[in-house]
Amino acid sequence: MALIAHKRSVWLLAAIFGTAFAVMLRFYDPATSGVFPPCPVHYLTGWYCPGCGSLRALHQFLQGNVRAAWSMNPLTLIFLPFLSYGLASRALAEIRGQGLPRVFLPAVWIRALCAAIILFGIVRNLPLHPFDLLAPGAMLGL
Amino acid sequence: MFCTQCGANNADTAIVCVQCGRDLQASAPPVPLQTTGVVIPPGPPVQVDNYLVFAILATVLCCLPAGIPAIVYAAQVNSKLQAGDVAGAQLSSKNAKMWCWISFGLFFAGVGVYIILIMIGIASGIFHQN
Repeated sequence: MALIAHKRSVWLLAAIFGTAFAVMLRFYDPATSGVFPPCPVHYLTGWYCPGCGSLRALHQFLQGNVRAAWSMNPLTLIFLPFLSYGLASRALAEIRGQGLPRVFLPAVWIRALCAAIILFGIVRNLPLHPFDLLAPGAMLGL
Repeated sequence: MFCTQCGANNADTAIVCVQCGRDLQASAPPVPLQTTGVVIPPGPPVQVDNYLVFAILATVLCCLPAGIPAIVYAAQVNSKLQAGDVAGAQLSSKNAKMWCWISFGLFFAGVGVYIILIMIGIASGIFHQN
């Protein structure tokens, strides 16, 4: 019982934190405002990681600029519907005890996904022409 | 003892198989049930959480390489489930969960350090004005 209550409070805290984060992200641009921390990987190494630009992408998405969001981090935009489904399912499972229908992904797909994320992280650092467009904002010259 | 899953030779005290990660303690007493002719109905497919959503969140949103092992363990959960190895899948599930928490821990530690640095910046700004 205490464990369930504990789990509930973790979820409640996460929901409050997540909502506050989204509202802040809607109004403050991570690119210019300095409210959000820079990507630690890029800050320390100078390389773009697969997640670089994801906050700016979400900010642009929340502002309704899908093209700008895509140029900041295409992966974030691609994953967004799936992540939303997964998180909504978990939230529903907490609230009413049953989540949304689960989809079993074959392990090969998950491994391919992992490889794609790593490959994206490598390729967006290459100084060769079609690949350099994958750096955050490069497609629109932002 | 020999692993019931992959046949690898393990120490008698081993908790999990060194080769395939199967839970040896759980699989140690293989009790033969097929004596009375009672047909056990096939239950619903076992669901073992692979925490893939959080693993991807950690990798892409928190900007952290620590999310990658979480994704690898998520894949391992599903591959073991596909092979019918529920105990092994539960073990991988634990690892996936652990790496998700490591990622989020690092993320919040980083945010904490960033906030402290900003506070110091503001404080020194006020200090220099006087």
